[in-house]
Amino acid sequence: MTSLLRIELRKLLPYSTFWVLLVLQLSLLFIFFYARGHVQVNGQAAGAELYQFPRLWQHIAYVSSFLNLIPGILIIILVSDEYAFRTFRQQVIDGFSRATLVQGKYSVILLLAIALALYVLLLGIGFGLYYGKGAENTGMFTDAQYILYYLLQLVGYMSLAMLIAFLLRKTGLAIMVFMAYTLVVERLINWQTPDAIDKYFPMKVLGNLTPNPHRELEQLMLGTSEVLSPLQATIPAVLYIGLFCFLSYYLLRARDL
Amino acid sequence: MAEILTIQGLSKRYGAVQALDQLSINVPQGSIYGLLGPNGSGKTTTLGIVLDVINPSGGSFQWFGQPASKSTKRRIGALLETPNFYPYLTGEENLRISADVKGVDHSRIPATLETVGLGKRRNDKFKGYSLGMKQRLAIGAALLGDPEVLVLDEPTNGLDPEGIAEVRQLILDIAAQGKTILLASHLLDEVEKVCTHMAVLRSGKLKAQGPVSSILATNDLIFINGGAPVEQLLQIARLLPFVTQAHQVNQQVQITLQEGIQSSELNRAFFAQGVALGQLVVRKRSLESQFLEIIKAEHA
Repeated sequence: MTSLLRIELRKLLPYSTFWVLLVLQLSLLFIFFYARGHVQVNGQAAGAELYQFPRLWQHIAYVSSFLNLIPGILIIILVSDEYAFRTFRQQVIDGFSRATLVQGKYSVILLLAIALALYVLLLGIGFGLYYGKGAENTGMFTDAQYILYYLLQLVGYMSLAMLIAFLLRKTGLAIMVFMAYTLVVERLINWQTPDAIDKYFPMKVLGNLTPNPHRELEQLMLGTSEVLSPLQATIPAVLYIGLFCFLSYYLLRARDL
Repeated sequence: MAEILTIQGLSKRYGAVQALDQLSINVPQGSIYGLLGPNGSGKTTTLGIVLDVINPSGGSFQWFGQPASKSTKRRIGALLETPNFYPYLTGEENLRISADVKGVDHSRIPATLETVGLGKRRNDKFKGYSLGMKQRLAIGAALLGDPEVLVLDEPTNGLDPEGIAEVRQLILDIAAQGKTILLASHLLDEVEKVCTHMAVLRSGKLKAQGPVSSILATNDLIFINGGAPVEQLLQIARLLPFVTQAHQVNQQVQITLQEGIQSSELNRAFFAQGVALGQLVVRKRSLESQFLEIIKAEHA
Protein backbone atom coordinates (compact mmCIF):
# COMPACT_ATOMS: atom_id res chain seq x y z
CA MET A 1 0.00 0.00 0.00
CA THR A 2 2.84 2.45 0.73
CA SER A 3 4.41 1.99 -2.71
CA LEU A 4 0.96 2.50 -4.24
CA LEU A 5 0.53 5.65 -2.20
CA ARG A 6 3.92 6.87 -3.43
CA ILE A 7 2.78 6.48 -7.02
CA GLU A 8 -0.48 8.27 -6.25
CA LEU A 9 1.44 11.14 -4.61
CA ARG A 10 3.59 11.50 -7.73
CA LYS A 11 0.38 12.18 -9.65
CA LEU A 12 -1.25 14.28 -6.93
CA LEU A 13 1.40 16.69 -5.63
CA PRO A 14 2.14 18.44 -8.96
CA TYR A 15 -1.60 18.63 -9.82
CA SER A 16 -2.97 22.16 -9.39
CA THR A 17 -6.62 21.03 -9.31
CA PHE A 18 -5.83 18.98 -6.22
CA TRP A 19 -4.32 21.98 -4.41
CA VAL A 20 -7.14 24.33 -5.39
CA LEU A 21 -9.78 21.96 -4.02
CA LEU A 22 -7.75 21.17 -0.91
CA VAL A 23 -7.16 24.83 -0.05
CA LEU A 24 -10.84 25.55 -0.72
CA GLN A 25 -11.88 22.74 1.62
CA LEU A 26 -9.48 23.80 4.38
CA SER A 27 -10.54 27.46 4.19
CA LEU A 28 -14.25 26.61 4.11
CA LEU A 29 -13.87 24.36 7.16
CA PHE A 30 -12.30 27.27 9.01
CA ILE A 31 -14.85 29.83 7.79
CA PHE A 32 -17.85 27.57 8.55
CA PHE A 33 -16.76 26.88 12.09
CA TYR A 34 -15.78 30.49 12.66
CA ALA A 35 -19.04 31.85 11.22
CA ARG A 36 -21.21 29.44 13.12
CA GLY A 37 -19.71 30.58 16.39
CA HIS A 38 -20.17 34.26 15.58
CA VAL A 39 -23.85 34.16 14.72
CA GLN A 40 -25.77 36.39 17.08
CA VAL A 41 -28.51 34.47 18.88
CA ASN A 42 -30.64 36.68 21.16
CA GLY A 43 -27.94 39.33 21.14
CA GLN A 44 -25.28 36.85 22.21
CA ALA A 45 -22.65 35.10 20.12
CA ALA A 46 -23.37 31.38 19.78
CA GLY A 47 -19.67 30.70 20.13
CA ALA A 48 -19.66 30.67 23.89
CA GLU A 49 -21.47 27.34 23.97
CA LEU A 50 -20.19 26.11 20.60
CA TYR A 51 -16.49 26.48 21.38
CA GLN A 52 -16.72 24.93 24.81
CA PHE A 53 -15.01 21.57 25.42
CA PRO A 54 -16.27 18.87 25.34
CA ARG A 55 -19.42 19.95 23.42
CA LEU A 56 -17.11 21.44 20.78
CA TRP A 57 -16.22 18.05 19.28
CA GLN A 58 -19.75 17.13 18.32
CA HIS A 59 -20.32 20.64 16.98
CA ILE A 60 -17.23 20.74 14.83
CA ALA A 61 -17.85 17.24 13.43
CA TYR A 62 -21.42 18.25 12.56
CA VAL A 63 -20.42 21.55 10.95
CA SER A 64 -17.57 19.93 9.00
CA SER A 65 -19.91 17.25 7.63
CA PHE A 66 -21.64 19.92 5.52
CA LEU A 67 -18.47 20.19 3.43
CA ASN A 68 -18.07 16.52 2.48
CA LEU A 69 -19.02 17.11 -1.15
CA ILE A 70 -15.71 18.80 -1.98
CA PRO A 71 -13.46 15.82 -1.12
CA GLY A 72 -15.97 13.62 -2.97
CA ILE A 73 -15.71 15.81 -6.06
CA LEU A 74 -11.92 15.72 -5.81
CA ILE A 75 -11.98 11.91 -5.82
CA ILE A 76 -14.33 11.90 -8.82
CA ILE A 77 -11.92 14.16 -10.72
CA LEU A 78 -8.93 11.97 -9.83
CA VAL A 79 -10.66 8.77 -11.00
CA SER A 80 -12.26 10.16 -14.17
CA ASP A 81 -8.95 11.84 -15.10
CA GLU A 82 -7.36 8.41 -15.27
CA TYR A 83 -10.02 7.38 -17.76
CA ALA A 84 -9.62 10.59 -19.77
CA PHE A 85 -5.80 10.26 -19.90
CA ARG A 86 -6.15 6.48 -20.45
CA THR A 87 -3.61 5.99 -17.71
CA PHE A 88 -5.62 3.23 -15.99
CA ARG A 89 -5.28 1.34 -19.25
CA GLN A 90 -1.54 1.95 -19.44
CA GLN A 91 -1.02 0.90 -15.82
CA VAL A 92 -2.81 -2.40 -16.42
CA ILE A 93 -0.67 -2.95 -19.52
CA ASP A 94 2.43 -2.17 -17.44
CA GLY A 95 1.64 -4.72 -14.74
CA PHE A 96 -1.11 -3.54 -12.37
CA SER A 97 -4.18 -5.63 -11.74
CA ARG A 98 -7.59 -4.00 -11.60
CA ALA A 99 -7.64 -4.56 -7.83
CA THR A 100 -4.41 -2.53 -7.59
CA LEU A 101 -6.08 0.40 -9.38
CA VAL A 102 -8.89 0.47 -6.80
CA GLN A 103 -6.41 0.08 -3.92
CA GLY A 104 -4.41 3.03 -5.27
CA LYS A 105 -7.44 5.31 -5.26
CA TYR A 106 -8.55 3.95 -1.91
CA SER A 107 -5.16 4.84 -0.45
CA VAL A 108 -5.73 8.44 -1.60
CA ILE A 109 -9.16 8.40 0.07
CA LEU A 110 -7.63 7.24 3.36
CA LEU A 111 -4.83 9.78 3.18
CA LEU A 112 -7.21 12.66 2.46
CA ALA A 113 -9.65 11.57 5.18
CA ILE A 114 -6.86 11.33 7.74
CA ALA A 115 -5.44 14.71 6.71
CA LEU A 116 -8.83 16.44 6.90
CA ALA A 117 -9.73 14.80 10.22
CA LEU A 118 -6.37 15.89 11.67
CA TYR A 119 -6.96 19.41 10.41
CA VAL A 120 -10.41 19.48 12.00
CA LEU A 121 -8.91 18.15 15.24
CA LEU A 122 -6.34 20.98 15.23
CA LEU A 123 -9.06 23.48 14.36
CA GLY A 124 -11.10 22.22 17.31
CA ILE A 125 -8.16 22.52 19.70
CA GLY A 126 -7.38 26.02 18.41
CA PHE A 127 -10.93 27.36 18.62
CA GLY A 128 -11.52 25.68 21.96
CA LEU A 129 -8.41 27.19 23.54
CA TYR A 130 -8.84 30.64 22.01
CA TYR A 131 -12.59 31.21 22.38
CA GLY A 132 -13.67 28.68 24.97
CA LYS A 133 -13.45 29.02 28.70
CA GLY A 134 -10.76 26.35 28.78
CA ALA A 135 -11.28 22.69 29.42
CA GLU A 136 -13.75 21.77 32.10
CA ASN A 137 -12.73 19.25 34.67
CA THR A 138 -13.64 16.48 32.18
CA GLY A 139 -10.58 17.29 30.05
CA MET A 140 -10.09 18.58 26.55
CA PHE A 141 -10.37 15.35 24.60
CA THR A 142 -13.53 13.98 26.16
CA ASP A 143 -15.90 13.21 23.27
CA ALA A 144 -13.09 13.73 20.74
CA GLN A 145 -14.25 10.39 19.24
CA TYR A 146 -16.54 12.55 17.06
CA ILE A 147 -13.45 13.32 15.01
CA LEU A 148 -13.13 9.57 14.33
CA TYR A 149 -16.80 9.40 13.30
CA TYR A 150 -16.12 12.35 10.99
CA LEU A 151 -13.12 10.47 9.54
CA LEU A 152 -15.29 7.43 8.84
CA GLN A 153 -17.93 9.65 7.26
CA LEU A 154 -15.32 11.22 4.95
CA VAL A 155 -14.13 7.77 3.86
CA GLY A 156 -17.77 6.83 3.19
CA TYR A 157 -18.51 9.91 1.07
CA MET A 158 -15.31 9.55 -0.92
CA SER A 159 -15.85 5.80 -1.46
CA LEU A 160 -19.29 6.53 -2.88
CA ALA A 161 -17.77 9.25 -5.09
CA MET A 162 -15.14 6.76 -6.28
CA LEU A 163 -17.81 4.20 -7.17
CA ILE A 164 -19.82 6.78 -9.14
CA ALA A 165 -16.68 7.88 -10.99
CA PHE A 166 -15.80 4.27 -11.88
CA LEU A 167 -19.38 3.75 -13.02
CA LEU A 168 -19.75 6.87 -15.19
CA ARG A 169 -16.13 7.64 -16.16
CA LYS A 170 -17.02 11.22 -17.16
CA THR A 171 -16.12 14.00 -14.69
CA GLY A 172 -19.09 16.31 -15.16
CA LEU A 173 -21.71 13.59 -15.26
CA ALA A 174 -20.25 11.82 -12.24
CA ILE A 175 -20.19 15.05 -10.17
CA MET A 176 -23.81 15.75 -11.06
CA VAL A 177 -24.96 12.25 -10.18
CA PHE A 178 -22.96 12.32 -6.92
CA MET A 179 -24.51 15.63 -5.87
CA ALA A 180 -27.98 14.62 -7.00
CA TYR A 181 -27.84 11.38 -5.02
CA THR A 182 -26.35 12.79 -1.84
CA LEU A 183 -28.49 15.93 -1.78
CA VAL A 184 -31.80 14.98 -3.40
CA VAL A 185 -32.42 11.42 -4.54
CA GLU A 186 -31.95 9.59 -1.28
CA ARG A 187 -34.11 12.12 0.57
CA LEU A 188 -36.90 11.55 -1.93
CA ILE A 189 -36.65 7.79 -1.39
CA ASN A 190 -36.54 8.27 2.39
CA TRP A 191 -39.71 10.30 2.22
CA GLN A 192 -41.62 7.26 0.95
CA THR A 193 -39.84 4.69 3.11
CA PRO A 194 -40.56 3.82 6.75
CA ASP A 195 -37.96 5.08 9.27
CA ALA A 196 -37.12 1.53 10.35
CA ILE A 197 -35.72 0.86 6.88
CA ASP A 198 -34.45 4.21 5.67
CA LYS A 199 -32.23 4.69 8.71
CA TYR A 200 -29.99 2.07 7.05
CA PHE A 201 -29.72 3.98 3.75
CA PRO A 202 -26.16 5.06 2.96
CA MET A 203 -26.50 8.84 3.28
CA LYS A 204 -28.53 8.49 6.47
CA VAL A 205 -26.03 6.09 7.98
CA LEU A 206 -23.13 8.39 7.08
CA GLY A 207 -25.04 11.48 8.24
CA ASN A 208 -25.84 9.90 11.60
CA LEU A 209 -22.14 9.49 12.34
CA THR A 210 -22.06 13.23 13.05
CA PRO A 211 -25.49 14.04 14.51
CA ASN A 212 -26.82 17.55 14.97
CA PRO A 213 -25.97 18.62 18.56
CA HIS A 214 -29.35 20.33 18.67
CA ARG A 215 -31.23 17.24 17.61
CA GLU A 216 -33.93 17.74 20.23
CA LEU A 217 -34.68 21.14 18.76
CA GLU A 218 -34.64 19.74 15.22
CA GLN A 219 -37.04 16.96 16.14
CA LEU A 220 -39.31 19.40 17.87
CA MET A 221 -39.72 21.28 14.62
CA LEU A 222 -39.61 18.46 12.07
CA GLY A 223 -41.21 15.69 14.07
CA THR A 224 -39.41 12.78 15.68
CA SER A 225 -37.75 10.24 13.43
CA GLU A 226 -35.98 7.01 14.19
CA VAL A 227 -32.21 7.31 13.74
CA LEU A 228 -29.06 5.38 14.54
CA SER A 229 -26.63 6.68 17.12
CA PRO A 230 -23.07 7.34 15.81
CA LEU A 231 -21.88 4.12 17.42
CA GLN A 232 -24.73 2.11 15.88
CA ALA A 233 -24.06 3.70 12.48
CA THR A 234 -20.40 2.62 12.54
CA ILE A 235 -20.93 -0.97 11.41
CA PRO A 236 -23.34 -0.23 8.53
CA ALA A 237 -20.99 2.60 7.45
CA VAL A 238 -18.01 0.25 7.31
CA LEU A 239 -20.11 -2.29 5.38
CA TYR A 240 -21.13 0.38 2.87
CA ILE A 241 -17.50 1.43 2.38
CA GLY A 242 -16.56 -2.21 1.71
CA LEU A 243 -19.46 -2.55 -0.71
CA PHE A 244 -18.54 0.63 -2.64
CA CYS A 245 -14.94 -0.56 -2.99
CA PHE A 246 -15.97 -4.02 -4.10
CA LEU A 247 -18.44 -2.65 -6.67
CA SER A 248 -15.73 -0.32 -8.02
CA TYR A 249 -13.49 -3.34 -8.52
CA TYR A 250 -16.31 -5.37 -10.03
CA LEU A 251 -17.06 -2.61 -12.58
CA LEU A 252 -13.40 -2.42 -13.58
CA ARG A 253 -13.22 -6.21 -13.90
CA ALA A 254 -16.36 -6.51 -16.01
CA ARG A 255 -15.62 -3.77 -18.53
CA ASP A 256 -12.93 -3.07 -21.09
CA LEU A 257 -10.44 -0.36 -20.19
CA MET B 1 12.04 -21.69 -32.20
CA ALA B 2 9.91 -21.15 -29.09
CA GLU B 3 6.63 -19.29 -29.31
CA ILE B 4 6.50 -15.99 -27.42
CA LEU B 5 2.77 -15.54 -27.88
CA THR B 6 0.16 -18.05 -28.97
CA ILE B 7 -3.39 -16.99 -29.67
CA GLN B 8 -6.16 -19.58 -30.10
CA GLY B 9 -9.58 -18.81 -31.50
CA LEU B 10 -9.73 -15.28 -30.10
CA SER B 11 -13.05 -13.49 -30.65
CA LYS B 12 -14.48 -10.15 -29.57
CA ARG B 13 -17.97 -8.83 -30.14
CA TYR B 14 -19.03 -5.23 -29.51
CA GLY B 15 -22.82 -5.35 -29.62
CA ALA B 16 -23.66 -6.21 -33.22
CA VAL B 17 -20.08 -5.81 -34.47
CA GLN B 18 -17.83 -8.85 -34.60
CA ALA B 19 -14.52 -7.03 -34.15
CA LEU B 20 -12.47 -10.21 -34.02
CA ASP B 21 -13.48 -13.62 -35.31
CA GLN B 22 -11.65 -16.79 -34.29
CA LEU B 23 -8.15 -15.42 -34.62
CA SER B 24 -5.30 -17.88 -34.12
CA ILE B 25 -1.68 -16.83 -34.58
CA ASN B 26 1.73 -17.70 -33.17
CA VAL B 27 4.50 -15.19 -32.64
CA PRO B 28 7.91 -16.92 -32.76
CA GLN B 29 10.75 -15.81 -30.51
CA GLY B 30 13.06 -13.26 -32.07
CA SER B 31 10.66 -12.33 -34.85
CA ILE B 32 9.38 -8.91 -35.80
CA TYR B 33 5.75 -9.83 -36.22
CA GLY B 34 3.53 -7.45 -38.17
CA LEU B 35 -0.24 -7.36 -37.76
CA LEU B 36 -1.40 -5.76 -40.97
CA GLY B 37 -4.87 -4.65 -41.85
CA PRO B 38 -6.96 -1.62 -42.75
CA ASN B 39 -8.42 0.59 -40.00
CA GLY B 40 -11.09 -1.29 -38.07
CA SER B 41 -9.78 -4.72 -38.99
CA GLY B 42 -9.25 -5.80 -35.37
CA LYS B 43 -5.53 -5.10 -34.86
CA THR B 44 -5.92 -2.90 -31.78
CA THR B 45 -8.62 -5.21 -30.39
CA THR B 46 -6.20 -8.13 -30.71
CA LEU B 47 -3.40 -6.24 -28.97
CA GLY B 48 -5.82 -4.90 -26.31
CA ILE B 49 -6.88 -8.45 -25.45
CA VAL B 50 -3.38 -9.89 -25.21
CA LEU B 51 -2.35 -6.86 -23.12
CA ASP B 52 -5.18 -7.59 -20.64
CA VAL B 53 -7.18 -4.38 -21.09
CA ILE B 54 -9.98 -5.80 -23.27
CA ASN B 55 -11.97 -8.84 -22.19
CA PRO B 56 -12.29 -11.36 -25.04
CA SER B 57 -15.69 -12.84 -25.90
CA GLY B 58 -14.01 -16.17 -26.63
CA GLY B 59 -10.69 -17.90 -27.17
CA SER B 60 -7.45 -17.81 -25.22
CA PHE B 61 -3.83 -16.70 -25.39
CA GLN B 62 -0.55 -17.46 -23.63
CA TRP B 63 2.58 -15.39 -23.20
CA PHE B 64 5.73 -17.50 -22.84
CA GLY B 65 3.39 -20.50 -22.47
CA GLN B 66 1.57 -19.01 -19.43
CA PRO B 67 -1.63 -17.05 -18.94
CA ALA B 68 -1.18 -13.26 -18.59
CA SER B 69 -0.06 -12.22 -15.10
CA LYS B 70 2.02 -9.61 -13.35
CA SER B 71 5.16 -11.61 -14.09
CA THR B 72 4.44 -11.96 -17.84
CA LYS B 73 3.62 -8.24 -18.03
CA ARG B 74 7.04 -7.41 -16.58
CA ARG B 75 8.59 -9.05 -19.64
CA ILE B 76 6.53 -7.01 -22.11
CA GLY B 77 6.76 -3.34 -23.01
CA ALA B 78 3.75 -2.00 -24.85
CA LEU B 79 2.11 1.02 -26.35
CA LEU B 80 -1.50 0.70 -27.39
CA GLU B 81 -3.24 3.18 -29.72
CA THR B 82 -2.30 6.49 -28.08
CA PRO B 83 0.53 7.63 -25.79
CA ASN B 84 -1.12 7.54 -22.35
CA PHE B 85 0.39 10.01 -19.88
CA TYR B 86 -0.56 12.69 -17.36
CA PRO B 87 -0.61 15.95 -19.38
CA TYR B 88 0.29 18.17 -16.42
CA LEU B 89 3.46 16.20 -15.58
CA THR B 90 6.79 16.48 -17.38
CA GLY B 91 8.15 13.70 -19.54
CA GLU B 92 10.53 12.65 -16.79
CA GLU B 93 7.85 12.70 -14.07
CA ASN B 94 5.64 10.56 -16.29
CA LEU B 95 8.42 8.03 -16.80
CA ARG B 96 8.97 7.89 -13.03
CA ILE B 97 5.37 6.78 -12.62
CA SER B 98 5.78 4.21 -15.43
CA ALA B 99 8.94 2.91 -13.78
CA ASP B 100 7.22 2.63 -10.37
CA VAL B 101 4.29 0.76 -11.91
CA LYS B 102 6.65 -1.65 -13.63
CA GLY B 103 8.86 -1.97 -10.58
CA VAL B 104 11.91 -0.70 -12.48
CA ASP B 105 14.70 1.37 -10.99
CA HIS B 106 14.65 5.09 -11.84
CA SER B 107 18.31 5.05 -12.86
CA ARG B 108 17.35 3.93 -16.37
CA ILE B 109 15.16 6.96 -17.02
CA PRO B 110 17.77 9.50 -18.26
CA ALA B 111 19.30 7.00 -20.70
CA THR B 112 15.86 6.02 -21.97
CA LEU B 113 14.95 9.67 -22.58
CA GLU B 114 18.18 10.06 -24.57
CA THR B 115 17.41 6.92 -26.60
CA VAL B 116 14.10 8.36 -27.77
CA GLY B 117 15.57 11.83 -28.33
CA LEU B 118 13.78 13.63 -25.49
CA GLY B 119 16.80 14.34 -23.29
CA LYS B 120 16.53 18.11 -23.81
CA ARG B 121 12.75 18.20 -23.31
CA ARG B 122 12.56 15.99 -20.24
CA ASN B 123 11.50 18.84 -17.95
CA ASP B 124 8.73 20.08 -20.27
CA LYS B 125 5.15 19.15 -19.61
CA PHE B 126 3.70 16.28 -21.64
CA LYS B 127 0.81 18.44 -22.87
CA GLY B 128 3.31 20.73 -24.61
CA TYR B 129 4.87 17.90 -26.61
CA SER B 130 4.25 17.45 -30.31
CA LEU B 131 2.52 14.28 -31.44
CA GLY B 132 5.84 12.79 -32.48
CA MET B 133 7.40 13.55 -29.10
CA LYS B 134 4.43 12.01 -27.29
CA GLN B 135 4.80 8.89 -29.42
CA ARG B 136 8.54 8.75 -28.69
CA LEU B 137 7.91 9.12 -24.95
CA ALA B 138 5.49 6.20 -25.16
CA ILE B 139 8.13 4.10 -26.90
CA GLY B 140 10.57 5.15 -24.18
CA ALA B 141 8.12 4.05 -21.48
CA ALA B 142 7.70 0.71 -23.26
CA LEU B 143 11.50 0.26 -23.28
CA LEU B 144 11.88 1.07 -19.58
CA GLY B 145 11.97 -2.39 -18.06
CA ASP B 146 14.32 -3.70 -20.76
CA PRO B 147 11.50 -6.07 -21.82
CA GLU B 148 11.97 -9.22 -23.89
CA VAL B 149 8.97 -8.34 -26.02
CA LEU B 150 7.80 -5.03 -27.40
CA VAL B 151 4.19 -4.57 -28.49
CA LEU B 152 3.75 -1.48 -30.63
CA ASP B 153 0.44 -0.30 -32.05
CA GLU B 154 0.92 2.00 -35.05
CA PRO B 155 4.28 3.25 -33.69
CA THR B 156 4.91 5.67 -36.55
CA ASN B 157 1.46 7.25 -36.50
CA GLY B 158 1.68 11.02 -36.59
CA LEU B 159 5.44 11.15 -37.04
CA ASP B 160 7.16 13.15 -39.77
CA PRO B 161 9.26 11.27 -42.34
CA GLU B 162 12.42 11.73 -40.30
CA GLY B 163 10.66 10.50 -37.16
CA ILE B 164 9.28 7.50 -39.04
CA ALA B 165 12.77 6.57 -40.23
CA GLU B 166 14.13 6.96 -36.68
CA VAL B 167 11.44 4.80 -35.12
CA ARG B 168 11.91 2.10 -37.74
CA GLN B 169 15.65 2.11 -37.14
CA LEU B 170 14.99 1.95 -33.38
CA ILE B 171 12.75 -1.10 -33.92
CA LEU B 172 15.40 -2.82 -36.02
CA ASP B 173 18.10 -2.01 -33.42
CA ILE B 174 15.96 -3.42 -30.63
CA ALA B 175 15.20 -6.53 -32.67
CA ALA B 176 18.92 -6.96 -33.31
CA GLN B 177 19.36 -7.44 -29.54
CA GLY B 178 17.28 -10.61 -29.88
CA LYS B 179 14.02 -9.12 -28.68
CA THR B 180 10.67 -10.06 -30.15
CA ILE B 181 8.49 -7.29 -31.54
CA LEU B 182 4.78 -7.42 -32.25
CA LEU B 183 3.78 -4.51 -34.41
CA ALA B 184 0.37 -3.43 -35.69
CA SER B 185 0.22 -1.26 -38.75
CA HIS B 186 -2.06 -0.32 -41.59
CA LEU B 187 0.97 0.52 -43.71
CA LEU B 188 2.03 -2.36 -45.89
CA ASP B 189 5.28 -0.63 -46.70
CA GLU B 190 6.16 -0.45 -42.99
CA VAL B 191 5.51 -4.15 -42.41
CA GLU B 192 7.43 -5.05 -45.55
CA LYS B 193 10.42 -2.91 -44.51
CA VAL B 194 10.60 -3.94 -40.88
CA CYS B 195 8.92 -7.29 -40.24
CA THR B 196 10.07 -10.88 -40.57
CA HIS B 197 6.61 -12.40 -40.08
CA MET B 198 3.15 -11.06 -40.68
CA ALA B 199 -0.54 -11.74 -40.29
CA VAL B 200 -3.12 -9.97 -42.43
CA LEU B 201 -6.46 -9.11 -40.84
CA ARG B 202 -9.64 -7.89 -42.43
CA SER B 203 -12.96 -7.34 -40.62
CA GLY B 204 -11.63 -9.32 -37.68
CA LYS B 205 -10.74 -12.36 -39.76
CA LEU B 206 -7.27 -13.73 -40.41
CA LYS B 207 -6.55 -13.57 -44.14
CA ALA B 208 -2.96 -14.77 -44.27
CA GLN B 209 -0.07 -15.42 -41.95
CA GLY B 210 3.53 -16.55 -42.17
CA PRO B 211 7.00 -15.22 -43.00
CA VAL B 212 6.80 -11.97 -44.93
CA SER B 213 8.75 -13.43 -47.85
CA SER B 214 6.19 -16.20 -48.38
CA ILE B 215 3.17 -13.91 -48.19
CA LEU B 216 4.49 -11.05 -50.24
CA ALA B 217 5.75 -13.19 -53.12
CA THR B 218 7.73 -11.17 -55.60
CA ASN B 219 6.32 -13.12 -58.54
CA ASP B 220 5.18 -11.04 -61.46
CA LEU B 221 1.88 -11.33 -63.26
CA ILE B 222 1.82 -12.29 -66.92
CA PHE B 223 -1.05 -11.54 -69.26
CA ILE B 224 -1.38 -13.43 -72.56
CA ASN B 225 -3.84 -13.45 -75.43
CA GLY B 226 -4.11 -14.19 -79.17
CA GLY B 227 -3.10 -17.20 -81.25
CA ALA B 228 -5.98 -19.33 -79.93
CA PRO B 229 -9.31 -18.86 -78.10
CA VAL B 230 -8.93 -17.64 -74.52
CA GLU B 231 -10.49 -20.87 -73.14
CA GLN B 232 -7.85 -22.94 -74.89
CA LEU B 233 -5.01 -20.71 -73.63
CA LEU B 234 -6.34 -21.08 -70.13
CA GLN B 235 -6.53 -24.85 -70.45
CA ILE B 236 -2.95 -25.12 -71.70
CA ALA B 237 -1.66 -22.73 -69.04
CA ARG B 238 -3.26 -24.76 -66.25
CA LEU B 239 -1.53 -27.91 -67.42
CA LEU B 240 1.96 -26.39 -67.41
CA PRO B 241 3.96 -27.56 -64.35
CA PHE B 242 5.62 -24.18 -63.62
CA VAL B 243 2.37 -22.17 -63.64
CA THR B 244 1.07 -21.65 -60.10
CA GLN B 245 -2.10 -19.74 -60.98
CA ALA B 246 -4.07 -18.99 -64.13
CA HIS B 247 -7.38 -17.12 -64.47
CA GLN B 248 -9.26 -15.49 -67.23
CA VAL B 249 -9.36 -11.72 -66.79
CA ASN B 250 -11.37 -9.87 -69.44
CA GLN B 251 -10.17 -11.25 -72.76
CA GLN B 252 -6.78 -12.24 -71.37
CA VAL B 253 -5.33 -15.01 -69.27
CA GLN B 254 -3.57 -13.88 -66.11
CA ILE B 255 -0.76 -16.20 -65.08
CA THR B 256 1.57 -16.42 -62.10
CA LEU B 257 4.76 -18.41 -62.56
CA GLN B 258 6.84 -20.30 -60.04
CA GLU B 259 9.78 -18.38 -58.69
CA GLY B 260 12.81 -18.32 -60.96
CA ILE B 261 10.87 -19.10 -64.13
CA GLN B 262 11.18 -16.55 -66.91
CA SER B 263 8.30 -15.44 -69.12
CA SER B 264 10.22 -16.66 -72.17
CA GLU B 265 9.81 -20.23 -70.93
CA LEU B 266 6.07 -19.72 -70.93
CA ASN B 267 6.20 -18.51 -74.53
CA ARG B 268 8.32 -21.52 -75.49
CA ALA B 269 5.90 -23.94 -73.83
CA PHE B 270 2.94 -22.47 -75.71
CA PHE B 271 4.84 -22.65 -78.99
CA ALA B 272 5.59 -26.32 -78.29
CA GLN B 273 1.81 -26.83 -77.94
CA GLY B 274 1.36 -25.31 -81.39
CA VAL B 275 0.13 -21.88 -80.20
CA ALA B 276 1.93 -18.71 -81.21
CA LEU B 277 0.86 -16.10 -78.65
CA GLY B 278 -0.41 -12.80 -80.03
CA GLN B 279 0.63 -10.84 -76.96
CA LEU B 280 2.57 -11.47 -73.77
CA VAL B 281 2.77 -8.73 -71.15
CA VAL B 282 4.73 -8.92 -67.89
CA ARG B 283 3.41 -6.67 -65.14
CA LYS B 284 5.34 -6.07 -61.93
CA ARG B 285 3.10 -6.65 -58.95
CA SER B 286 3.03 -3.65 -56.64
CA LEU B 287 2.94 -4.28 -52.92
CA GLU B 288 -0.31 -2.40 -52.62
CA SER B 289 -2.01 -4.55 -55.20
CA GLN B 290 -0.83 -7.70 -53.41
CA PHE B 291 -2.10 -6.34 -50.12
CA LEU B 292 -5.46 -5.50 -51.64
CA GLU B 293 -5.59 -8.94 -53.18
CA ILE B 294 -4.98 -10.61 -49.81
CA ILE B 295 -7.53 -8.60 -47.91
CA LYS B 296 -10.13 -8.95 -50.68
CA ALA B 297 -9.78 -12.72 -50.88
CA GLU B 298 -12.81 -14.32 -49.28
CA HIS B 299 -10.91 -17.52 -48.54
CA ALA B 300 -7.36 -17.69 -47.05
